[in-house]
Amino acid sequence: MLPAISDIERLLAALPDVAVAEELLGVVARVSLADAVPALVAIKAAGYESLVDFDGIDTGELIELTYRLRSYALDTELYVKTSVAYGGTIESVWYEYPSALMPERETAELLGLHLAGHPNPKRLLTTDGVPPLLRKDVLIRSVEEVKAR
Amino acid sequence: MTDTCEETLGVGLLCEGQHDPGTPPAGLRRAPSGVDGLTTEHLIINMGPQHPSTHGVLRMLIEVDGEEIVAAEVSVGYLHRGIEKLAEHRRYDAIGTLMDRGDYVSGMMGEHAFAMAAEKLMEVEVPRKAHWLRSLASELNRLASHLVWYGTFGLDTGGMGQFLYAMRDREALLDILEALSGQRMMFNYIRPGGVVADLPLGLEEKIRTFLSTFDMYLEEHDQLLGGNEIFQSRVKGIGVIDRGIAQCFGLTGANLRAAGVDFDVRKARPYAAYQELDFEVPLGTKGDAWDRYMVRMEEMRQSARMIAQLIDGMPEGPHTAKVPRVIRPNAGEVYASVESSRGETGIHLVSDGTEHPYRMHYRGPSLYAAQALEEILPGHLIADVVMIIGSTDIMLGELDR
Repeated sequence: MLPAISDIERLLAALPDVAVAEELLGVVARVSLADAVPALVAIKAAGYESLVDFDGIDTGELIELTYRLRSYALDTELYVKTSVAYGGTIESVWYEYPSALMPERETAELLGLHLAGHPNPKRLLTTDGVPPLLRKDVLIRSVEEVKAR
Repeated sequence: MTDTCEETLGVGLLCEGQHDPGTPPAGLRRAPSGVDGLTTEHLIINMGPQHPSTHGVLRMLIEVDGEEIVAAEVSVGYLHRGIEKLAEHRRYDAIGTLMDRGDYVSGMMGEHAFAMAAEKLMEVEVPRKAHWLRSLASELNRLASHLVWYGTFGLDTGGMGQFLYAMRDREALLDILEALSGQRMMFNYIRPGGVVADLPLGLEEKIRTFLSTFDMYLEEHDQLLGGNEIFQSRVKGIGVIDRGIAQCFGLTGANLRAAGVDFDVRKARPYAAYQELDFEVPLGTKGDAWDRYMVRMEEMRQSARMIAQLIDGMPEGPHTAKVPRVIRPNAGEVYASVESSRGETGIHLVSDGTEHPYRMHYRGPSLYAAQALEEILPGHLIADVVMIIGSTDIMLGELDR
């Protein structure tokens, strides 16, 4: 179910540059990178007790991060989006949402970001030296390229 | 039972001060070896990635004080195949094959989640019969998957017989799924717009024959394992994932419902034919390994109930909508999720209007269950580890993607 946009706007009123809108994805609150953690803290305090998904998208200009939050009590879901420059640093939110522990590691590793405040900021899925695979400038080899090696 | 992350994280063995940013969670905060004076020197045991009880290639670093675990770290990635990256280079109708290789024991659900996400972007109306066939395929697959869990969970506790009986029933289910989709595991049956094929002649009768004995067999399974006092004494009270831990670690599926949280995507966000089906969502109370066992056994009974309803009420009509040979959905961003055998499987799909997805993120419930192990294992004995892992029913193919 979708939360009321006015409720989310009220919740994040103290933060500058917040835009809340209903999109095809659902109700999305877009915040600046600096406001992402305060926004998530406020949202959790409002009853969104579970971070059920976290991922990043390489838009071609920067990395867009999407937090998917759920309140079981309110039976609603909310998306929070923020953006970070290539090679930038994101603040871990594991102490608010422990479910972010592994998804944050994965996103940082596969999109070439740095993690701040994470208790175990190691790679999750790949070994040292593997490039950030989900970046658009990292290409996968075609069959012809592999055969030609 | 605790209701918030703060309360939960405050009660772990090594959880004091957990609220402060930068202080690691219990499983990651290793006590320096031998510094606590009165205890033995701590050992770090490397469990996996080939350990038979780790259900795939999970590796765990376990720090023990004698027989007791003081910290655990889950190390994953051994099955990483880059499914999300590969999806960016596949056409929409070919991505089902990748989803099958995520959670390879219940591939139908992964295909279903992706198809739903693509359909949201395509604005295509899926025929009613396709919805029913999708639910039928999913529930058959859920039974097959839960039987694998049941059999291997018993193996973890030292039983052997129940595994053979479970495989007998799963074999019948795989025969049915093969007749339906042409494949035993990598189905590629549910595709954007509908399903690949209608029910073949004679399959309805085959499913009815299976159902005529399955309820009885399921009771036998339950008696064989759940009725065994040794099994009960080994799983009751261990691996408690209460409501607070389940919610703040993002758990879904039977692991969440065993903690008493009434959330099943099939009921809470109905999709396919589930709105038209009569079924119940079993819940646990304590959230221990026994509750997770009970919830999954009851889920099998409910799945069998649903399969009977789906066969009886299968509507007439086309099994797929008309979709172009090369699918180019509208540009946009959607999220779709289904209740898979292990919890909520979600697809975050971004399209730029071309024949390949711009980005596909695959949310597997096993990742969240695996990271919760770091919180719940401390305080248990080494012998409990395999049972706790087994009770969470994680699937490494889906975790690593």
